[in-house]
Amino acid sequence: MRQDLELEAIIEDYLNGKLTADERVAFEQLRSNDPIVDHKVVAHKVFLESMAQYANILMLKEQMDEAHSQIDVAVLADQLKPHPSRIVKLWRNNKSAIAIAASFVLLAMVSLYSIQNNNKQAGTFEAMSQDLAQVKRSQGGLIREIKSIRTDKTNNVPSTNRPRFGGTGFAISGNGYIVTNYHVVRGADSVYVQNGKGVSYKVKSFYNDPVNDIAILKINDKSFDNLPSLPYNIKRGTSGIGETVFTLGFPKDDIVLGDGYVSSKNGINGDTLAYQVAIPVNPGNSGGPLLDNNGNVVGIINGKENKTDGATFAVKSKYIMEALNAIPQDSLSKRVSYGKRSALQGLKRNKQVEKLQDYVFMIKVYNNN
Amino acid sequence: MSVKISSSLPTDREVVLGILNNSVEALNKLYAAYFPMVLQFILNNNGDEDDAKDVYQETIIVLYNKVKTGSFELSSKLKTYIYSVSRRIWLKKLAQQSRKTSNIADFEDVLAVEEDMEQHEQKDMQFDKMKAALDGLGEPCKTIIEDFYINNHSMQEICEKFGYTNTDNAKTQKYKCLQRLKKLFFQS
Repeated sequence: MRQDLELEAIIEDYLNGKLTADERVAFEQLRSNDPIVDHKVVAHKVFLESMAQYANILMLKEQMDEAHSQIDVAVLADQLKPHPSRIVKLWRNNKSAIAIAASFVLLAMVSLYSIQNNNKQAGTFEAMSQDLAQVKRSQGGLIREIKSIRTDKTNNVPSTNRPRFGGTGFAISGNGYIVTNYHVVRGADSVYVQNGKGVSYKVKSFYNDPVNDIAILKINDKSFDNLPSLPYNIKRGTSGIGETVFTLGFPKDDIVLGDGYVSSKNGINGDTLAYQVAIPVNPGNSGGPLLDNNGNVVGIINGKENKTDGATFAVKSKYIMEALNAIPQDSLSKRVSYGKRSALQGLKRNKQVEKLQDYVFMIKVYNNN
Repeated sequence: MSVKISSSLPTDREVVLGILNNSVEALNKLYAAYFPMVLQFILNNNGDEDDAKDVYQETIIVLYNKVKTGSFELSSKLKTYIYSVSRRIWLKKLAQQSRKTSNIADFEDVLAVEEDMEQHEQKDMQFDKMKAALDGLGEPCKTIIEDFYINNHSMQEICEKFGYTNTDNAKTQKYKCLQRLKKLFFQS
């Protein structure tokens, strides 16, 4: 016991570096010779280190408690505790997240806006029926023409009325069925068609398709002689971009040729019912046939974009066929054929127009209101 | 945060030097500087003022140990380090109490402090072991050992304080106490 106590004291002095050089050498000698002593040294070293650590932390805690007592925790806690309002809490807790989210939203909005701007055709659709009242105000020459027609054809045209709207239409059968745009004849009290020779016939509305903007009119006039067989066909399938097309129409009292090409497979804002074509058109062109080089009808001109030049829209030929199929087939004689070889194929444009113009009519709409 | 953390925020370098030199003043400054940050974190994550105190003091201990072993490098801001350690400690406490740990409301960036935490947990275990051993020792042994090893009193002082007739008696007493303590410490 005495011995152990002294050994312990020596070990402690040894570990604390309190031994003299001679004692140290002697002790290290003893330690290397006696594994029991060595073990005791190691164990005591671990113990002393743990004790020192313990003492340090204890001291640190004491000092921190002292420091803590100088802080007014209650006041701080009042300032920092979660705000009773959920919104303020949310804002405080997620300030940075909200900021990031906000900037993302902003970014997304900006990019979305620019994408939309790129995608969207900014202009609005403008139907190409001719508002003659408007034309009268702006184009003196045109009014005279219209007035002269009225005086010439007083027997056909009610004198109290003047045509309010005008458009174009074309024959789809030899016995007087004419197709045009629905928007041309919408709300009409009476409708007349006038051929290239200046002869007007009364027509009645036969079939309306507001969705596809197609109307079929039937000439209801005894003076009308049946037309020879139609020189053109309705095109089966769709036309590709770049296909050369032309149209005939009545933006004025004489027939006008417009020439261009299919510029997009879809119409305004991605409207799959229509083509976009690059043909300059004017009010009055609505309802005109759109034909390709081979004399196939690929569509009906029905409008243009009011902010872009040369962006004209045409209802696809497929929908003309659908409209035709809605008509009792035995009422159509010498009806337009579908997907056959056209009589206009291989002709020069001037010859094509010559053959076509008897089949393209000006539509005159009278409206009492 | 709108709350001003401290008017005299010590620089990170000051803090590290202060710790290395056992400066009480540096500790006081450090303590006051970052306590509000930790308090805010704890209060907003299911804790109260006492939790904040415990967590914050444990964090400072981790920092001290790290600085003392020389492994603390000022690669990140001290503030971030303290926040990350506090956060880690509090999350662990929440998990132990099986309180809600989802949706932690954070106020600062967070560092990965896993390695430091492992070391700390080991040391913390040693501390608890020593504390338990000392508590199991009983009087007067506990006081004698504490006086000698923690308060660095000499055997002479202890001899007088406890009224031993001579230092040899005191030494014998201390030796007996120490043997029991070591037994408790190493066995636990």
